[in-house]
Amino acid sequence: MTYEIVKIQNVVKQYDKKTRALDNLNLSIKKGEWTSIMGPSGSGKTTLLNIIGCLDSPTNGKVIINGRETTGLKHNELTRFRRENIGLIFQQYHLIPYLTAVENVMMAQYFHSMVDEKDAIEALKRVGLGHRLEHVPMHLSGGEQQRVCIARALINDPKILLADEPTGNLDQKNGEIILELIRELHHEGHTIIVVTHNPEIGDMGQKKVLLVDGKISFKNNNYGG
Amino acid sequence: MFGRILRKSISKRKSRIAIAVLSVIIGASIATALLSVSMDVSEKVGYEFRKYGANLMVVPETDTIEVGFPGVDFGTVTEQRYINESDLWKIKTIYWRNNVLGFAPLLYSVVTVENEQNQQEVVLAGTYFNKNVNILEPYSSEDSTIFKTGIQVISPWWNVTGRWIEDPHDNDSSMVGINVAEALGLEIGDEYIIRYIIDYENNSNIKEYNLTVVGIINTEGHEDNQIFVNLQVAQNLTGRPNKVHTAQVSALCNACPVDTFAGEIMDAIPYTEARTVKQLVSAEMNILGKIEDMMFLVTIVALLASALGVMTTMTTSVIERRKEIGLMKSIGAENRKIMTLFLSEATLIGIIGGLLGYGVGFILSQFIGMSVFSTSISPTVEVIPIVIGISVGVSLLASILPVRKAVNVEPAIVLRGE
Ligand SMILES: Nc1ncnc2c1ncn2[C@@H]1O[C@H](COP(=O)(O)OP(=O)(O)O)[C@@H](O)[C@H]1O
Ligand SMILES: [Mg+2]
Repeated sequence: MTYEIVKIQNVVKQYDKKTRALDNLNLSIKKGEWTSIMGPSGSGKTTLLNIIGCLDSPTNGKVIINGRETTGLKHNELTRFRRENIGLIFQQYHLIPYLTAVENVMMAQYFHSMVDEKDAIEALKRVGLGHRLEHVPMHLSGGEQQRVCIARALINDPKILLADEPTGNLDQKNGEIILELIRELHHEGHTIIVVTHNPEIGDMGQKKVLLVDGKISFKNNNYGG
Repeated sequence: MFGRILRKSISKRKSRIAIAVLSVIIGASIATALLSVSMDVSEKVGYEFRKYGANLMVVPETDTIEVGFPGVDFGTVTEQRYINESDLWKIKTIYWRNNVLGFAPLLYSVVTVENEQNQQEVVLAGTYFNKNVNILEPYSSEDSTIFKTGIQVISPWWNVTGRWIEDPHDNDSSMVGINVAEALGLEIGDEYIIRYIIDYENNSNIKEYNLTVVGIINTEGHEDNQIFVNLQVAQNLTGRPNKVHTAQVSALCNACPVDTFAGEIMDAIPYTEARTVKQLVSAEMNILGKIEDMMFLVTIVALLASALGVMTTMTTSVIERRKEIGLMKSIGAENRKIMTLFLSEATLIGIIGGLLGYGVGFILSQFIGMSVFSTSISPTVEVIPIVIGISVGVSLLASILPVRKAVNVEPAIVLRGE
């Protein structure tokens, strides 16, 4: 049974008097769906991702993630909710420079609950980095760093994977590897939300959302519903 | 995992951590110097000050003998004009007895000294040099019933050529003041005769006594005009067994008013009066206190400098690691974990800085000891935990603001390109 794992109702995000990044936005995303969020720079894509990922709270409106209303949660409650439900993939990877690949993954385990080095190694093998476990980010290529980031995002079994321009800093070949990984994760049933400028990547989603000036100007469901 | 994060994050930022540690060293070393010097020297300062003489004078009640200028005529001898030698041990039985560093009885008389060239009237002082006095029950402490005391104990700075009179039963030796020695041409090893006139009016009944010079005293005080012998020599010569005119007491007491001290001695030997050499004692306390006050101020300033240094480096650290903090938060680190990470770093900085600061401070304390007190400072173990405590405390306090900054980092920054 598919249910709406993300429900966004009348959400407003006002940074300051002039900047209304999200303007009365409504959006629902089904469990297991791959959603692409597109739009020009400054249209509110990152802001939307921050709110879905519980990294930020809206000024107004209601956000329900995995059946739980997140608006109104206290700071630490939001943190705990985030680590249970959200996996984050960044354009700049954000690996800790002084930790090895496997330690970067283990750190996510540590903040979530308990460190399990075997699991961390498994996760890295799964993204094809079994031979790079003890390398620090400086000694990894961009594509490899992004794969560590994906392994880290997956390690705690999140309900939703959020990716902000995951291939933005990568060449074609490495970008393909990352997209292939995301595709696999989608097939395994993960809910995936990808922000991208690239129309080809945008087309990979079952659902495409076009943001303009903090409003949804176009929504397309590839297979109805 | 936490330990690994902490260790690696520190070892990757060695130079920054080193600056913070250096800041702590500044304060910790000054604090060490203050504590070492004040703990070790307060004792030594006491010794220094004792150089200026006894700070309490015990005399018989109603007696008015001037110290160093004993009356030439003692008139009719009454019991009240002397202190019994056999009562002196009681000075060591007062409540503040542990602060009694020593005492020395003095029995004065005027004698005529004669040698080949010269003849002169001189004050003969009988005293203890270094004598074991028995402390009777119930005042004697368990480990010691004997109190080693005498003029050598309370006035060890006397400039003596030759030697002290070591044996309390030595009835032939004498120590001669430098002025006496010069006037009479006496040198170490010389023998001379003293005459004591029992009946002045008739200039009759003269007692003669042979003495040998074993030491020449140069104190630049009234002692230079006197001859010192064992108390029993003076007592026997003048026919006053068990009698002394006065007792000099050397006491150092930070916690008790010296008046209390005097009062207690008067209670212990009821027919005496104890006079305090007040200015002297308050000067002792004043200088001790002033040195400590000054060093305390310097320490506070140094610790403030430490705090500032730690705060600056920590703040820079937090700013540099904003993305890292945001990332940790975005993957689930609560504020408490971020706080623990930075406070642990601060604690480590405090411990390392405190330990190194102790080392530096100990060397510093040697300089202070040598230049101010002309003495080396022995290491005081208690100072180590105190200094480390102070260092960690300062480091943690200085980290409050930077840690707050770290806690306030928004996790949302990880998605914003910058
Ligand atoms: N922290 C912030 N404070 C103020 N304004 C912000 C902040 N973050 C984003 N904005 C503004 O909100 C709007 C939407 O930004 P963003 O969500 O980053 O757009 P996009 O990701 O689509 O480029 C922009 O005008 C941007 O300048
Ligand atoms: Mg953006």
